[in-house]
Formats: sequence, C-alpha cells, structure tokens
Amino acid sequence: MVKKLEFKSYKDMPIRAMTLSTMMWNLTGSWRNVRPYYDFKTSPCIAGCPTSENIQKYIYLVTEKRYEEAWSTIIESNPMPAITGRVCFHPCMSKCTRKDYDEPVNINAIERSLGDMGLDNPGWMTKVKGTESQKVAVVGSGPAGLSCAFYLARAGFTVTLFEMEKALGGVLRWGIPEYRLTNEVLDRVISSMLEAGPIEVKTGVEVGKEISLEELEKDFDAVFLGTGLTKSRSLGMDGEEGDGIEAGLSFLKKVNGGEKVDPGKRVVVIGGGNTAMDVARCAIRSGSEVTVVYRRTINEMPAIEEEIEEAEREGVKFHFLAAPLEIKRNGDSLTSVVFQKMELGKPDESGRRRPVAVEGETFEMEVDRMFSAIGEQADLEGIDGMLDCEWNLIKADQKMGQCSREKFYAGGDVVTGAASVVEAIAAGRKAAEKMIRGFRGQSEPEEIEDRIVGIDDMNIDYFTKVKQNRVPRIPSEEIKGTFREIKTGYTDELLEKEAERCFSCGVCNYCDNCWVFCPDVAIHRRENEYEIDLDYCKGCLICVEECPRNALSTREEGK
Amino acid sequence: MKPAVMPLEELMGSGHLACQGCGATQAMRFALKVLGPETALVIPACCWAVIDGTFPHSAVNLPIYHTAFETAAVVASGLKAGLEMRGDTETTVMAWAGDGGTFDIGLQALSGAAERNDDIIYVCYDNEAYMNTGIQRSSSTPVGAWTTTTPVTNYKREPKKNMIDIMAAHSIPYIATASTAYPHDFMAKVKKAKSIRGTKYIQIFAPCPTGWKMAPELSVKSARDAVTSKVYPLLEITEHGQKLKVWKDFEPTSVRDYMKVQGRFRHLKDEEFDQIEKDVEMKWQRLVAKEKMLASIPGLIE
Repeated sequence: MVKKLEFKSYKDMPIRAMTLSTMMWNLTGSWRNVRPYYDFKTSPCIAGCPTSENIQKYIYLVTEKRYEEAWSTIIESNPMPAITGRVCFHPCMSKCTRKDYDEPVNINAIERSLGDMGLDNPGWMTKVKGTESQKVAVVGSGPAGLSCAFYLARAGFTVTLFEMEKALGGVLRWGIPEYRLTNEVLDRVISSMLEAGPIEVKTGVEVGKEISLEELEKDFDAVFLGTGLTKSRSLGMDGEEGDGIEAGLSFLKKVNGGEKVDPGKRVVVIGGGNTAMDVARCAIRSGSEVTVVYRRTINEMPAIEEEIEEAEREGVKFHFLAAPLEIKRNGDSLTSVVFQKMELGKPDESGRRRPVAVEGETFEMEVDRMFSAIGEQADLEGIDGMLDCEWNLIKADQKMGQCSREKFYAGGDVVTGAASVVEAIAAGRKAAEKMIRGFRGQSEPEEIEDRIVGIDDMNIDYFTKVKQNRVPRIPSEEIKGTFREIKTGYTDELLEKEAERCFSCGVCNYCDNCWVFCPDVAIHRRENEYEIDLDYCKGCLICVEECPRNALSTREEGK
Repeated sequence: MKPAVMPLEELMGSGHLACQGCGATQAMRFALKVLGPETALVIPACCWAVIDGTFPHSAVNLPIYHTAFETAAVVASGLKAGLEMRGDTETTVMAWAGDGGTFDIGLQALSGAAERNDDIIYVCYDNEAYMNTGIQRSSSTPVGAWTTTTPVTNYKREPKKNMIDIMAAHSIPYIATASTAYPHDFMAKVKKAKSIRGTKYIQIFAPCPTGWKMAPELSVKSARDAVTSKVYPLLEITEHGQKLKVWKDFEPTSVRDYMKVQGRFRHLKDEEFDQIEKDVEMKWQRLVAKEKMLASIPGLIE
C-alpha cells in the first residue's frame, strides 16, 4: 500500500505540480455496496449425465491440449470412455445449452476421442495394488459389474469378477454389434481396466447355479450383482418354437461371437427397441431385405433416435402399427406371417399410448426368417428367494444399489429393467463408492443441489453460431457384407474445433473478460485463477454482466 | 490457463476517482497497454483530469500534462516539438480529451494541429456530454437525450455533431472510431496510430453510467449495443481521408433496445423512437454508400 502524501505547508511542495506517488492509498472498495465473487455452477450436460462426468472440465482441458488430464477427468466417473463414446445415448447432448443456440456440442465424439487416446497411451492408467483387507465378489461383467469392480480395485480392494460366459463384457460383447463397438476395442478396454487394480476373473461360472449366493455371502465382505437381462421375452404365439423364428438376442450373440450366419432373403424383425435395431442392421449387412414391424409408431420407439436414423439410412424398412397374429408354414419351413393392424389408444402406465387392434384388418407378409426383439428379462434363478425381487427384477436402492440383505448390492438392467450402458456404469460406480464408505466407516456425503445454468443466464453476445462438426463415417453403400465400424471418429483437428464450441456453462474457462473490462484494475490475473481485489473493487458488476458463462455471482455488502 | 488476450502490463492503477462502470477509464487502460511506457499524455479539463487523482498523486504511471480546456491539441503539438528538439523522437504524445474538449471548446486547437499535421495521437473519449462538470449538453450529445441543460421538457433536439467528417476534411493520415466493448479493435487502432507519422484522431465511445442514468454493469453492454444497432459505427479513414472502411460483421440489434436501458432517453415516446431509428438507418446507409463510392474511384483500388 502506498501512503497518501500530505504537505504540512507550501514549503514542502515541489516547485512544479508533479506526481510524487500513485493513488493506491485510496481504497475505493469502500464505495461498494454489492460485491462480485467467483461462483461456479453446474453445466447442464453434467447434470444430464447419469454418471455425472465432469464434461465441462474435460472439454476445457481438450481446448488446452491437456489430453491426459482430460482423460483422467472422465475416468473419475466412467472407466470406459472408449465404449460410451461409441454407444452412449448421450443425454448430455440433449441438455447442452448450445442446442438452444445452434447445435449441441458433440460431447459423445469428444469422449470417444479421449477414450481412444487412453487406449493408445496405456501409461495414463496408473496401477493400483491391493492395500485393503476386504474382498468383494462382482457377479456379471457387463458395464455395471466392470464399473463396480474397477472403482473397488482403484481404491485398493480385492475383487473377484464372476462371468457365466467364456469372455468378459456381457451386453457390451453379446448385445452390441461390431459396427458400433468392435470386439478389439472392447478387449482393449477390459484388459486396461483389469490391469489397473487387483481384479481376479472367473469366467464360465454361473452364480446362482454353480456357486450359490450363500457361499458368496460367506466368502466375501460384499457382493455386487450386475447380471443384466439375459432372457428374451417370447411372442406367446402358436408355432413360435419352430424353424425360421429366433430370438433377436440369440442371433446377435452368434453374429457378435463371429459365427457365420445366413438370416435368409426376406427378414422381419418384431420390436422397436435397440435390440430390434441391432438385429435389423446386422441382417442387412448379411445381405437380407429387412422390415422392422412395431406395434406403435416411430414416436413411441424406445430405441436411440440415432440408431433408428442409421437403420433407415442403411435401407431397413419400417412398418408401424402392426403386430404378428399368425405364423404360416409349408411343412417345417416358414412361409409367411399374418399381421394385425393396430391403432393408438389411451396412454398406459408407461405414458405411451397403448396399441389397440383394429378389428378385422390384417395383412400377410412373405418371410424367410422372423426375429423377435420385444424385450429381455432377467434370469433370477438362485437370486429370487435370497433377495427381495419385484416385477422380475432385483429390488435395490436406485441410487446406491443396496439390496434387501446387508452384504448385497445390485445395479444395471437387473435393477432398472432395460436401460442404458451409462446408467449401468453409474450404478456400478455408486455401489462401489457406497461399499468403500462402509468398509472405511465414512459417513454418507451431504447431497448438494445442483445450480444448473441455462441459456438465459449466459451472455450470448460473446458467442457466434458454428455448426457441429460431423463425425467422419464410412459411406452407407459400403456397409453391405462388412461389420466395419461406421464412425471413424474425430481427427485431432476436428476434436479441437468441436471442443472450442463448448460454452463452458457456469464454469470459468479463463476467457479473460472480467479482467479485461474491470475499470478499476481490481481483478488480478493469477496462474490459474482470477482474484478480485476487494480493496479497490467499486462494485460496478461489469465482470458479472460480461461473463459469458455466468461464473460470477453477487452478494450485497453487510449481508 | 491460456495466454492473456491483451498485454499484462498495467500503466493505469487502482484507486482512481472514476465512477462505477466508467467507460473512459477502461479506454485509458486499453490505450496505455498498447502505447507502453514511452508515452506522454496531455489532458485538458475533462473527467480524466479528475479521475487521475489528487495532487501530488496520479493513477497513471506516466507523465501527464494537465492543460486548459481548449488547448489539448496545441499543447500536445508543443510537447512533441519540444521532445524532438531535445532529440527524443521515440516518445509518443497523446492528447486525451472528452467530447466537450474536442467537439466544442478544443475544436480550434485540434483543427490547427490537424492542419499542420503535427505528429500526435488525439483520442476523444466520447461520453456524449460534459459529465465531469455535471452532465451539461455538448455538441456530441445525441438527439433526444436528457442532460441538466436539456431537461426532459426541452430535451436535446439537435443531432450529434459529425466530428469524424470534420476531421476527415483536414486530410489527416488516420481517423478511427472505437467502442469500449471492443477493446481488441481499439487497441489495434491505437497501435496503428502509433506507427503512423502525423495527426491521428481516434474517437472512442465510452459510456457514462452516471450521466446516462444507467446501471453501471450495463456500461460495456451499451457500448456493444451502440455499435451493433448502428448508432455508433466502427470505422477507419486512411490515406488522408480517401479510404473508408466500415465494420459490418455483426448481428444487427435494435436501436430502441440500446436506448431503452438508458434513463437519459426514458421520456421519449414511440414516434420519437421511430424517428431516431429512421435517422440512424439513414446515416448508416449514407456511410456504407460513401464507403462504396470511395472504393470505386479509379486509382484507389488496390
């Protein structure tokens, strides 16, 4: 602080009026009645992500080319960005502020690029040794089980991972076709996760049949069940068991296992979910003519919108408002299927309008092969009875996964019914965190309500309209006869351009606006933050008004 | 953290006496960041004569010559001549005056310096009235505005003086307008002015929340809206008045929205706003037409 200079008499004064000191003695902060302060809020994308990835942060780190830190940021809440970056239904993007401005940031593609970088740089994943005494059994190696095992192992707990199939991955391996997620990527992701901590794998073991839950309860300190939905729901029609008719899931399993299958010339797929889309798109790659028949309309389809678009682009035909009524055969072989026309009635308990048959209106379709994909069910053999179940699903706390017995936790589709990969990852991680808190005797963290920033809170004068950068892909004509991955991912240049589009809602990304416009030079630009000098801040609040992303708030003085 | 968007060096410090949200203060900070320490300032009576601080203190870490109201340009000319006589050709001399000291009281001194093409930068921070003495009208005050000498019952009926055309008529090498909302544009213009020999005139739109009866946090916003609503076009006149470049790369906004946040226009009725909007558009069209016309004169096309 510079002292104010005062002259006792004119003799003290210099002969000419000249500056002897600065004005720093004048603490203009006393003029202020409102004070600005940095107050970071929650970006809507983060609130929209089931596993709460810190999207704003990792995209910011990408803009600074700090890729390893960006990757580590994702890993804190999602251990498999290379997978979710390919298959996630990205609810984050439908919450992105930019969708109200031009087009959402392609968070999904950015995540994939970072995930792939993580696979190419195995050194980024630090190895953890088993430091804790407790042991946990994780049953099922789908996204929920893998995620739970990973976060337990990262905290130093020893995990035994049980899988009934020969290979790990669950629905990621058997349910998702090669063109969306290749086995090569899946294998690399899984092996990187297994190497990261003390995880022992036991494949080909069916828990509930070969090993009972009681045994697990005895041998382990906690058990996580992430067994998923493994049984196809049947159509409930006469002649369903015969030749030419197959469950979509078993077809997918064969295709994904690398088996050569010929689905026939004319293929019909019953259902409107993701399995139906996957089956249809696999069949079209094998050279079939594929029609998807769904009993409601495109608006009610539970499949990811992007999947429906892709299927249409690839030549899959859709027939809405129809359901199979009768199967016609010539001897053993399937010849045609008679369909009942439907119309939409009143909404049912799921909120979707219930399809109702239109009396007497039917049509016949000649088919070689019919796949049913009307939903999957959990196989609760050996679980029901031990744990409380409801609606053929395990009853567990939706947030933390706690089951009706103390040591048991569950998560993923086996608790929620058919949901998504990212929700399963979130469930696995949250159950792991809850177990860890239990083992270490830590209390539950306080729940803080998110303050989510929307476009009305932002100063959009600082943004310009820029279209989303499309992900490069192989041409639709080239998909026949190949299960090559359709999207080839961003180049480094596109990655950078897309990351630059992020508004960084509610969180400072060091755009310098506050520092530039402060008329009182009261904002100091430090190494990794700005500091408001309250000795001099007059409280004009230009910094708050001119912050494009609402990363500052105000508080009245004396309150 | 990314590299800073403007030079880190601060030649203007805290503790100065400007009101909250002062645009003139921002303008000075931006200009000094570009000009650097080899600069001498000449400041006549205006807000900045007060903002700078009380004797013997100064918020600006540079030599400042405080002068009488009408003499900013001629004192700058003399200062520059004196420095040159002593062999100092490096130091930039900048006259820094408000709109009253430029449009009205200092006009003859400025005209003289411009006619002689003395090697100075003259910056007028335009807050559209005599703010320092208590918000009296100047010839820069826009039509429709309230000031203490043009009360709402008899608000200002005369349009703002076209100072840019007056300066262009002097054929000086460089003339530009700027706005505190576009600091990078302003800093680039100051940098350009520094590199040119002769009289350089820059007029920066610097909102005065106190005098405009406006919340201080809207200072930068109104400086931005003035440009995007075409009220205050950003332009450059080079080659001794022969080339004109108008900045047009923005999303146009409404004149009414710009004016409505300012208390000095609160008394205006809808039809008066309509007329002002028409005048603004007319002036803009004329400016753009002039730009085209100048560009079409043979021999000037690059």
